[in-house]
Amino acid sequence: MKNPPSLAFEDHFNISLGDLQKILDISLSRGGDFSEIYLEYKIYNFINMEEDIIKETAESISLGLGIRVLSGEKTGYGYTNDLSFAKIKKTALTAASIASSRALREASPLSPVQFHHNFYPVLESPHKESLEKKISFVKETYHSAQNFDRKIKKVKVSFLDHTQFVTILNSEGLKVSDVRPLIKLACLAIAEKEDKRETGFSGGGGRVGMEYFSTDLTPKEIGQDAAKEALELLEAALPPAGEMPVVLAPGHSGVLVHEAVGHLLEADFIRKKTSIFWNKMGKKVGSSQVTIYDDPTIPYFRGSYNIDDEGTIPKKTLLIERGKMAGLLQDRLSAKLMRRPLTGHGRRQDYSCIPIPRMSNTYIDRGRYSPDEIIKSVEKGFYAHKFLGGQVEDSGKFTFSVSSGYLIENGKLTAPVKQATLIGTNIEILKNIAMIGSDLKFGLQTGTCGKEGQAIPVIDGCPTIKISRMTVGGQ
Amino acid sequence: MEKGKKPMKLKELAESLVTFGKVNGADEVEISILDGYEFSVDVRLGKIENLVEAGSRSLGLRVIKDKKTAFASSSDLSKEALEHLVKNAIKRTKLASPDEFSGLPALSKKRVDIPSLKLFDPEIPSLDSEKKIALATETEKIALEDKRITNSHGSSFETTEIRIIFANSNGFLEEYEQTFCGLSIGLLAGGTDNQVEDYWSSSKLHFKELDSPEEVAKKAVERTVRQIKPRKIKTQKVPVIFEPTMTSWLLGFLFGCVSGVSIYKKTSFLVDKLGKRIGNERVTVYDDGLMPGRLGTRPFDAEGVPSQKTLVMDKGILKNYLCNTYAARKLKLKATGSSSGTSVSPSNFYLKAGNTPPEKIVSSLEKGLILIRTIGHGLNPVTGDISRGAFGLWVEKGEIVYPVSEITISGNLGEILNNIEVVGNDLDFRSPLAGPTIKIKELTVAGQ
Repeated sequence: MKNPPSLAFEDHFNISLGDLQKILDISLSRGGDFSEIYLEYKIYNFINMEEDIIKETAESISLGLGIRVLSGEKTGYGYTNDLSFAKIKKTALTAASIASSRALREASPLSPVQFHHNFYPVLESPHKESLEKKISFVKETYHSAQNFDRKIKKVKVSFLDHTQFVTILNSEGLKVSDVRPLIKLACLAIAEKEDKRETGFSGGGGRVGMEYFSTDLTPKEIGQDAAKEALELLEAALPPAGEMPVVLAPGHSGVLVHEAVGHLLEADFIRKKTSIFWNKMGKKVGSSQVTIYDDPTIPYFRGSYNIDDEGTIPKKTLLIERGKMAGLLQDRLSAKLMRRPLTGHGRRQDYSCIPIPRMSNTYIDRGRYSPDEIIKSVEKGFYAHKFLGGQVEDSGKFTFSVSSGYLIENGKLTAPVKQATLIGTNIEILKNIAMIGSDLKFGLQTGTCGKEGQAIPVIDGCPTIKISRMTVGGQ
Repeated sequence: MEKGKKPMKLKELAESLVTFGKVNGADEVEISILDGYEFSVDVRLGKIENLVEAGSRSLGLRVIKDKKTAFASSSDLSKEALEHLVKNAIKRTKLASPDEFSGLPALSKKRVDIPSLKLFDPEIPSLDSEKKIALATETEKIALEDKRITNSHGSSFETTEIRIIFANSNGFLEEYEQTFCGLSIGLLAGGTDNQVEDYWSSSKLHFKELDSPEEVAKKAVERTVRQIKPRKIKTQKVPVIFEPTMTSWLLGFLFGCVSGVSIYKKTSFLVDKLGKRIGNERVTVYDDGLMPGRLGTRPFDAEGVPSQKTLVMDKGILKNYLCNTYAARKLKLKATGSSSGTSVSPSNFYLKAGNTPPEKIVSSLEKGLILIRTIGHGLNPVTGDISRGAFGLWVEKGEIVYPVSEITISGNLGEILNNIEVVGNDLDFRSPLAGPTIKIKELTVAGQ
């Protein structure tokens, strides 16, 4: 894979490298240990189709920089989108004020880093593609859902792409750039029958080029999938409530690993001892069938990046190895304070945000059972197929909202079921994982994760999984 | 906004871009500019963790030509960048479809007296950093004095000052300034494997109205420790009391269902219900953008439509949907000053208080659950169905006997509105969505 084109940030920022070097020095003028400038230019396009018409298109430009100064455990941060030298200097002084040490450091001379990988070697960059072509994909998706069945009464399709140009410079001499494309084509279909009304959802994309929609997932398929789901939900009943065995479908159920494990292995929660995993490194925390990775290097995936938002080259990171806690998601600050190696998981929503440890593409690795074997082993239970999302607390308590699923009766999937909530604590669930399938899949390339008000693209995955007991909330 | 610096001529910029759009062929042009200053400090275990201070500006625009709409936004406010964006948007309108309902609102004769809304507190820009840091530090210190608290997520104090400028080609040109301050803390209690957590916060437009560090800390401690050693319960149907924060959460869901945008899109269970009974006589709901100094107050919405007080539900009867201009035209109704662009947002959306003190609601409960927190997703506006992870306090014979966790509550908003048995007298506008304690006749609580 080729090295991506590096950002000639001077084109957008009109600041010389010499001036930026000065800014790094200024930001250490109160005695900070480390300083960093994050320059970001982002272009964004959006198309929305509803009620049979292209309702609107939108274009957005975001340009700005954030300056961070670290002093021990403290972070000073300032950002601006006024890019005059005077204003940047003021921003640097704001960030610098967090420190109050007499031991002044000087920033090292900047030396550009070239890396030799590209996890998103796209052929047709979305920002260079014509709006007409994007609109044709939107219409194709829309009509595919609408024409799928007469019971489909409403369709909504949105397309969005953004291209993010980042350059990161720091007082250790780092200067590195990345250009990250991101596309999402999403379809919502509403089906009606008598007085019932249900919604189906599908979508695709990732850090891909426009060629994705002919090679990977076509607009037609996206439309059909949304319509199919809405139609199926019309026939679905509310689930029985109570504790029962739960089988998680491959792919979509990856939200479980994201919520129940991933968040609690973010190093900031470990360092602050607010995660229940803080004292469990190397210890057994779940069934020995469970191995979990976070891998920012999977080509074309939504959660991937060539460098993280602190300029670190990311690594595939082992989090749980055969039931034992094996690793953490680190950013620079936590890694330094914990004296642990960097993993390249310092991410931020945009230039106005402080980077924090985050997930990228998180998954449970494949196991040894066939999916059929797993379903057959359940006499009476619940099969969770698709999720709206999930939420976890540091205490390990979590919920997942299941949008669609099935009852399992005598080892077979039977009646379709809608809207269930799964609830539990992560340690219990990890221990209660009884079987893991060989069919590792990933969910839709549309996911977003929120933490401390920052939204970032992620994806997660898992094979078919049987959990011996779990609380299902229903009717 | 930057302190001590004369605000740049953003009003002139907005006006000139409206003219520029018209000259370049747009039928209608709308420009909004936001100029903001933000300060926040996070303190954890007595030390500053993060200190953020920043100023930023952004501009949003909408152009309409031949009934076709295009939007754009930028944080680059250079004239060249903006003029390019306007021209590009006009060009893009060609690719959209004509829509007879599109277009800007007509200029309203009604004018809201901006100073009477008390949106700006001059004390906030004058607070010095030391004082702001001390507020967060003090709050955490008080909370940590309670030995039952085992760890802290930290305490934060933040302030924002924003200036909003709005102009359109129908002759609207207004601006206003608004301040905001917030103090919050998150706490943990219980052992590592028995951890419970909660937080509390106070948010106001005026500094002197903000709860003191002591009030915020005490409330956060109380909310956290009451959850220690939770039990699981069996699945059952029981009466459920919603604390005010939970009523707010329910009102947020109701807001989404009375949104004119959801109605014309048919993504709400309240389609075609205008004028009909959707709740019992205890339910009266308003959306009021004109209450002085409240968090949801604003002189006009994101399209320049003046704010108003709208009766949403009158003793159980659905009276009004909340509409932006587009939804109003679609539904042949009037815009209610609720626009947030292509969608709607609440101003001060609240459930009218009843007469019963909250303590009395609890003491008169024979057996049931006090809902204190929910987590997860699980709201379906199309059906009104609710299914959420929940935390609560179990009540027997009018007394709280133990906390419960790992439960889910499920029900339906339509049914809940018809089954509100008691409305408390404790309405407090802590958030733009506000409601008092309420008691619901029965909900499914799923546990073991």
